[in-house]
Amino acid sequence: MNGGNQIVFENVSKFYGDVLGVNRVSVSIPSGITSLVGPNGSGKTTLMNLMTGLLQPTRGRIEVLGIAPNDPERLFRELGYCTQFDSFPKGLTGYEFVYSYLRVYGCLHKEADDLAWRAIERVNLVDAAKRKIAGYSKGMRQRIKLAQAICHGPTVLVLDEPLNGLDPLARAETIALFRTLAADGMHVIISSHILHEVDAISDQVILLSNGYVIAEGKIHGVRSEMQEHPMQILIRCNKPSEVASQIFQKDYVVEAQIHRDGRGLLVRTKDADKFYLMLNQIAMNGVGIESVAPADDDVNSLYEYLIGPEESK
Amino acid sequence: MAVYKRSYKGYAGAYTPEWSRFRVLTRYASRGLFKSKFLTGFFVICLFPFLVTALLIYLNHNGTVLAMLKFGKNVINIDNAFFSRYLQTQIGFAFLLTAFVGPGLISPDLGNNALVLYFCRPFSRTEYVAGKLLVLVKLLSYITWVPGLILFAIESSLSGWSWMISNLYIAVAIVLSSLMMIAVLSLLALALSAWVKWKPVAGALVLGVLFLGTGFGAAVNGIMRTSEGFLFSIPTLIEIVTHALFRQAPLTDLSPLQAFVALLLIAGGCLYLLSRKIKAYEVVR
Repeated sequence: MNGGNQIVFENVSKFYGDVLGVNRVSVSIPSGITSLVGPNGSGKTTLMNLMTGLLQPTRGRIEVLGIAPNDPERLFRELGYCTQFDSFPKGLTGYEFVYSYLRVYGCLHKEADDLAWRAIERVNLVDAAKRKIAGYSKGMRQRIKLAQAICHGPTVLVLDEPLNGLDPLARAETIALFRTLAADGMHVIISSHILHEVDAISDQVILLSNGYVIAEGKIHGVRSEMQEHPMQILIRCNKPSEVASQIFQKDYVVEAQIHRDGRGLLVRTKDADKFYLMLNQIAMNGVGIESVAPADDDVNSLYEYLIGPEESK
Repeated sequence: MAVYKRSYKGYAGAYTPEWSRFRVLTRYASRGLFKSKFLTGFFVICLFPFLVTALLIYLNHNGTVLAMLKFGKNVINIDNAFFSRYLQTQIGFAFLLTAFVGPGLISPDLGNNALVLYFCRPFSRTEYVAGKLLVLVKLLSYITWVPGLILFAIESSLSGWSWMISNLYIAVAIVLSSLMMIAVLSLLALALSAWVKWKPVAGALVLGVLFLGTGFGAAVNGIMRTSEGFLFSIPTLIEIVTHALFRQAPLTDLSPLQAFVALLLIAGGCLYLLSRKIKAYEVVR
């Protein structure tokens, strides 16, 4: 296994007695923002717990940047974890929460104090740091959890449902922070149900269903490999009927639907690359094309096609 | 394709030694304990017998005061039985202190799902239990063997070198009895704290196991005409072993070895319960 700069799962299975957690997972996660997407019970949290060493796999091997998860002394120098639960010991202030776990981590007082304040500043909670966590709002709790996960400067950040309960402003700030961390070279692994946000922030996705990885990679790459679901493309143009008549002659065009406003059409095609080439020809023949955009090239559509609309509800 | 260049540095400073990190938990837990005025007050009361006993030892050697009170010299026989009685009193206080403190050590972490916070750091389950255990070990030591040894030292200084040498086994008995009691009580309190998330119930359960077990054991003894009912009574088991260590006459037909083995089994059972419950994640099937 050569996972020096990646998080690698090699044929990993985890069973809780007779209950399946995840089965035969083989994925490699590079740096950047990776989202684990799937319905409840699909194995997202199990996968996260496996990579953080909190669960041992029943079968298979895992390496996080070349480190085995059963070597906590090395692993947790490189990894920060934020659980989905409100895991706060009673009576601590935000600062104490971050500081005390840095001490558990092995940092000396001075360093722990510096690192705690730096992390609190990064999540924008300096003003509330000396207040008890019990009095924090949901968004503040999420941010202080994030601070304890990033305080020791990890390379891998594993965040279980980090956007849950955040208001739109806090969500935008948190997403911006993820982007900054990823741009700094960090592996940011997120599980989330909020698909449009996953779509907006993820460099790659891992789609899970019933303990199996059903797709992984960059969203556009995954979508283009789904031949059984023709790609939907929305074309805004001045002569939609003319375009429709021309494209219908091609066997890779499955369906074309004139838009209700009469200024565009929605096309379903089995081969997007050939379609775009043909569209160039149409444009050169004098049809004014304003825009061409994939209509189902996002996580939401992937989720619906691969997992099903019932489960996505 | 995005190209990411690592442009920041993680913490590269010194770390405390691995073996010492569990003490962070002890420090935080101990600090929280004495925020309770009730517990602080009770802890002070636990030290009263020590002060009274120290005074008795001093007076016993103070001829002037004894003459004033019209007593002869060495009116109190300070021997193994004297120290054993003192320790039994302190063990009684230790039971109550354990019932107050023990349940608050693990149950809040379990109730708040906070265990994962410890275990997503270079920190093991053993270190977690050791950190919590040390809270009780320290606290109970302050009221049992530490003052016990101070009393032994006071008596030795007043009675002389020969008394100390000939009664050195009393010091050993103070330490061993206390440590045995502390280990059993602490593990019991932690195990019950880990299994019962509600703190007051866990506290009641600690006292229940200690005192109802004694009642049940006495009932078994009465009905079955046997001494084996004492196996259900942790206080009696501790007392039997303590008596043996202080070289006193046996209390019951149950031998000190049987009592010691029973205490070992109880401690082992508590460790098993802790190993089942202290996990980063509770798997509900």
